Amino acid sequence: MKRVIATAAAATVAALLVVGCTPGSGGDAGSSDPKTFEFWSFTGINQKVDVDAYSKAHPDIKVKLTEVGSTTETAQALTTALAGGKVPDLVLIQGDDLPKFMQSPENFVDLSTLGADQKKGDYLDWVMNQSMTEDGKIIGIPTDVGGLAVAYRTDLFKAAGLPTDRDQVSKLWPTWDGFIDAGKKYVQATGKPFVDNTSTSVFFQAVNQGTERYYDANRQLSYDKNPQVKAAFDLALKVHASGITSKITSWSTGWTAGMSKGDFAVVSAPAWMLNAIRTNAPKTNGKWDVATIPGGSGNWGGSYLAIPKRAKNPKAAWDYIAEMQSPEGQLENFLSKGNLPTTPSVYTDPRLVGKTDPFFSDAPVGKIYTESVLGVKPFYIGPDDATIGSELINAIISVEQGKLPPAKRGTPR
Amino acid sequence: MTTVLRPAAAAKATGQPTRKRRVQQGLRERLAPYAYIAPFFLLFFIFGLFPLLFTFYIALFDWNPIGEREFVGLANFSELLDDPRFWGALRNTFSIWLLSTVPQLLLALGLAHVLNHVRLRAAAFFRMSVLVPYVTSVAATTIVFAQLFDRDYGMLNWFLGLLGFQHIDFTASVWGSHVMIAAMIAWRWTGYNTLLYLASLQAVPRDLYEAAAVDGANSWKQFRHITIPALRPIIVFTVVTSTIYGLQIFTEPLLANPVGGLTCGAARQCQTLTLFLYEQGFGRFSFGYGAAVGVALFVVVVIVAAINYLLVTRIRSERP
Repeated sequence: MKRVIATAAAATVAALLVVGCTPGSGGDAGSSDPKTFEFWSFTGINQKVDVDAYSKAHPDIKVKLTEVGSTTETAQALTTALAGGKVPDLVLIQGDDLPKFMQSPENFVDLSTLGADQKKGDYLDWVMNQSMTEDGKIIGIPTDVGGLAVAYRTDLFKAAGLPTDRDQVSKLWPTWDGFIDAGKKYVQATGKPFVDNTSTSVFFQAVNQGTERYYDANRQLSYDKNPQVKAAFDLALKVHASGITSKITSWSTGWTAGMSKGDFAVVSAPAWMLNAIRTNAPKTNGKWDVATIPGGSGNWGGSYLAIPKRAKNPKAAWDYIAEMQSPEGQLENFLSKGNLPTTPSVYTDPRLVGKTDPFFSDAPVGKIYTESVLGVKPFYIGPDDATIGSELINAIISVEQGKLPPAKRGTPR
Repeated sequence: MTTVLRPAAAAKATGQPTRKRRVQQGLRERLAPYAYIAPFFLLFFIFGLFPLLFTFYIALFDWNPIGEREFVGLANFSELLDDPRFWGALRNTFSIWLLSTVPQLLLALGLAHVLNHVRLRAAAFFRMSVLVPYVTSVAATTIVFAQLFDRDYGMLNWFLGLLGFQHIDFTASVWGSHVMIAAMIAWRWTGYNTLLYLASLQAVPRDLYEAAAVDGANSWKQFRHITIPALRPIIVFTVVTSTIYGLQIFTEPLLANPVGGLTCGAARQCQTLTLFLYEQGFGRFSFGYGAAVGVALFVVVVIVAAINYLLVTRIRSERP
């Protein structure tokens, strides 16, 4: 009998222990090693290069890098962690996901307490402003921006009788109408689609070229009234109607295959997209080139490094940020992996201006992308931007797939 | 326990202290069963009942896990009832479930009948082979199927092209995506159900089949008049289990259409209820709204369980 009660009691204790060990309380347990810190990144941006460089320069410090998943998955994992799990010491947040976290700045270390207020002038104003609260707290340090451009296949352009020189190609499409005309010529000559899709390659670029996006200047939702959003949406429908797209959605399996098989000749390419093309279609080496984007400057993407409030080792994480995201650090990063710096002081550096990319026919990528970024007209990005953006893209994909009549515009919530 | 302990206790029973002891003894004996079942119920209350009730509670709030929470009463539910995405998800769930369950169970029945055949060579090999899809990881299965059904480079469309047909964009259409997901589920579970049926069939005396064969009954007649009646209880069981699985379909639609992500397609054409719940709760972190979807899903499951219960009792009473 005693044994029975003892067993039951033991089971109870065990159960309580299990409950006690849920992630909610796990984060605070255990001692931390001041020489080690944990870093969450997303895949596809190759933070490992930075981490390796840092580890080489500081052999005594250990950086535990985890690539959590896509940008969205990383933001989700961070939210869960902040809500009561084990948080990393350092985390990379994509620009579009940042506003959601900016709503609750108390979850992050105010980086100005660690010295970020002296460094904020190093970065592009409008990029830095997005990670600052109204009362001046600094939540994140920008790691890169995604100036806009267009990548195109010179071999396919040649076969279609279009110019292949990047300056002449840029002159083909000062506006999106010029882009459509070039596309029509291409389709007529080859019988193949010109651009991969209208959702990301046209709509998302055009909407990012505006002076206002889904929120107005007073930070109120205005995507359904904003004429610039409507114009971008109508442009996408116009491109769709002109029949020059392959209707292959970006990041789908068909997209990667189509890219290497030449099923489309043009992809809109923010700075970081060049890496995606390089990895997805390695056999097309040397067949691409980069021209300017129709419609002028714009930005798509970019990320921030932030330190969660409950981080065990915020000091080590900050040292890492301060060193790797300094203008010099970002320049090194650009030269080795091509993410465009957020620090305008290096935009005139001969190493950046002179940077060419052999995969893209030696295009002067440093020059092309910095020019695009310097012309950006900043707009407010709000907490629901990512959701609204993906709903609008979904609406356009539905039109492309013939599931939605072009007149019926999506109304995201 | 009572019979073992009582003589021992009675032997020591003398005077006042023993009376006390007897009361203690009685109390212990009455409490013992509760102590035995306590671990389960404790765990059930902590991990089963509490989360369930807590879900109901969260559903009453506008709750951001890393920000603020605000009591909104039943607003989440009224919003849910007006939400076409919810009704779409409900329709998709039932459609995918029916498309996968019905052919799957019929196929399993047929397979089990054949595998149970007296003159089947290498029976053990075939019997074990049907279980292979079940062992394969769902994620791997889904990736392979998604490639088979791909619009531009999928094998199915390549084959259709050879025959001179137009390519079909499976993932983009409602029916196409449902058929694709149903095919994945059926592929995975048919063998599992076949083995269940087969196990049950092994209990049927061989003489029955042999006698039927002697009487001139062909395989189809044997199937109808011996196999089906013998399998009735296990059929009910598989219907119930596949219903439970069917209402929780999550991985397949999540991975089948990586472009759509949590919406499973640009027009939510294959988003199931659990996927919708996940999208709201853990994709957008509207915990309150996600919890309301969870409560709705709970109600749906209760209704389906009730129907299942009626079905089971009906079939039982029909049995000779």
